[in-house]
Amino acid sequence: MTLFLLPYLLGTLLLVVIPALATLALAFTDYNFIRPPVWDGLDNFRTLWASPLVRLSLRNSFLFLALAVPLRLLGALFLALLLQAKRRPFGLFRAAVYLPTVIPEAAYALLWLWLFNPLYGPVNLILAWLGLPTPAWLAEPGTAVLAIVIMSFFQLGEGFVVLLAGLQNIPHALYEAARVDGASAWQSFWRITLPLLLPWLLLLTFRDLIMSLQNTFTPTFIMTYGGPYYATTFIPLLIYEIAFDIFDFGLAAAVLVVTYILLGLIALGLFNLSGLNADEITF
Amino acid sequence: MRLHSKVKWGARTLAGALLAGLFLLPLYWIMTASLRPAGLPPARTVEWLPPSPTLANYPAIFEMLPMARYLRNSLIVVAAAVPVTAVIASWAGFALAQFPDRPRRRWLGLSVATLMIPGASVWIFRFQILRWLGLIDSLGALIVPAFAAGSPLFVLLFYWTFRRVPPGLYEAARLDGASAFTTWWQVARPLARPTTIAVIVLSFVLYWSDFISPVLYLYRPALYTLPIGLQILKQLDPTGWPLLMAAATIMTLPVIGLFILLQRTFLGDNSLAELLDRN
Repeated sequence: MTLFLLPYLLGTLLLVVIPALATLALAFTDYNFIRPPVWDGLDNFRTLWASPLVRLSLRNSFLFLALAVPLRLLGALFLALLLQAKRRPFGLFRAAVYLPTVIPEAAYALLWLWLFNPLYGPVNLILAWLGLPTPAWLAEPGTAVLAIVIMSFFQLGEGFVVLLAGLQNIPHALYEAARVDGASAWQSFWRITLPLLLPWLLLLTFRDLIMSLQNTFTPTFIMTYGGPYYATTFIPLLIYEIAFDIFDFGLAAAVLVVTYILLGLIALGLFNLSGLNADEITF
Repeated sequence: MRLHSKVKWGARTLAGALLAGLFLLPLYWIMTASLRPAGLPPARTVEWLPPSPTLANYPAIFEMLPMARYLRNSLIVVAAAVPVTAVIASWAGFALAQFPDRPRRRWLGLSVATLMIPGASVWIFRFQILRWLGLIDSLGALIVPAFAAGSPLFVLLFYWTFRRVPPGLYEAARLDGASAFTTWWQVARPLARPTTIAVIVLSFVLYWSDFISPVLYLYRPALYTLPIGLQILKQLDPTGWPLLMAAATIMTLPVIGLFILLQRTFLGDNSLAELLDRN
């Protein structure tokens, strides 16, 4: 049996695990890919601490996450609750909600570049028609992050599907019993649905903290290249520039390490806050 | 009571329809905007259908850029990477489903942990590994993630499927003298058809959409894939929206086609949830 697992293990080791661990080590070296890495201790961390661009990019990234992750998860939860019914048109509705998630990133970025065009993009044309203010979206530092959050919201399919599966896993008998006891729909949501979905929600939060940040790379690369005035320079784009434009692999690795330590702390805090223990999250 | 329930379902269906419409809008706009004649001044009010729709933007982008070559490169990558992904993920899921409890838990935990490894953290050193393997600046750099099953998620999907097969079936095949490979091919694989199809679609999307790998690992324009083509077109003509949307449509249509064929597996009434059923 082990033989069947072997190709996957070797592939993952070589392409994912070893590169991730090596990056961790490279953070403590001076490495520009022509000369072999030289150990230089915490030098990279001092450089990044002194760099206003790194600090700005960290701030942008965590602002993005603070807006995008709750919005995407609550959206996915709301849509899963609304559309879980096993009735005729609901299967189609679910498919429609998932559809934007499969649109290839590059195509999706071009689409939103047009939708958010300040003068003749459909978003502003609709806002103008409703008599609402029409911001310059990607052309203005204040709204550019918001625009990226909005476009990431429409690709919430993964969380949506996982939560649908989680909802179907809740034994129906629990709801029956609650109804017999005279519980309202609202009460059974808070007392049954939410506690039983909590492990799923927590896992999705962790994944979304990492993935929605990672997924900013393509839109920011194609749409704004980090602008205007660095407002959409999130960590993945910054790392790309440090690593593949100025070839300072050590510094890029250090930025990554700092980012994921901060994300890890957030995840740990959320985990403690949820009151779950690790055994309750099983597969 | 019955009237109340009818009103409730009516409201629910209406809300569902409105939200479904909202999520379909992006796709609708990609397609309709691609039909707008290229020289027309931009509309100043919301336009649900372009005036005098035309397909002329499609041949136009093939003349502006070597789109046919980009398309061919993308197809080569997908044709090589998708089958490899499906086989490797299926094997790994098959093995995991038959492992004894403790090692299985450990490997599953590791798979979930790798789900959390962000792409950016492997860019730098993967570049180095691909260089050692001689794959930098070749389509192989875009295909090689298939050997890590594309995503641990695909392995987990197969594992969840194979775990639901009564162990007696594998046992019986083994007693009949079937090798492990024959058991996988003749017993396990046919039972996992919906999962196999789901993994084929999801991994197609993964490789077809991959923008980062060609940006990081390809230099020769002759090797560029469709996502890079879109980026070049945008640099060439940053406000030629009908042309840009035509290119975006070419990238999106195959994915949507596959998705519509298979949406039942994901989102039908007995979909993924059945796989995840813990019994």
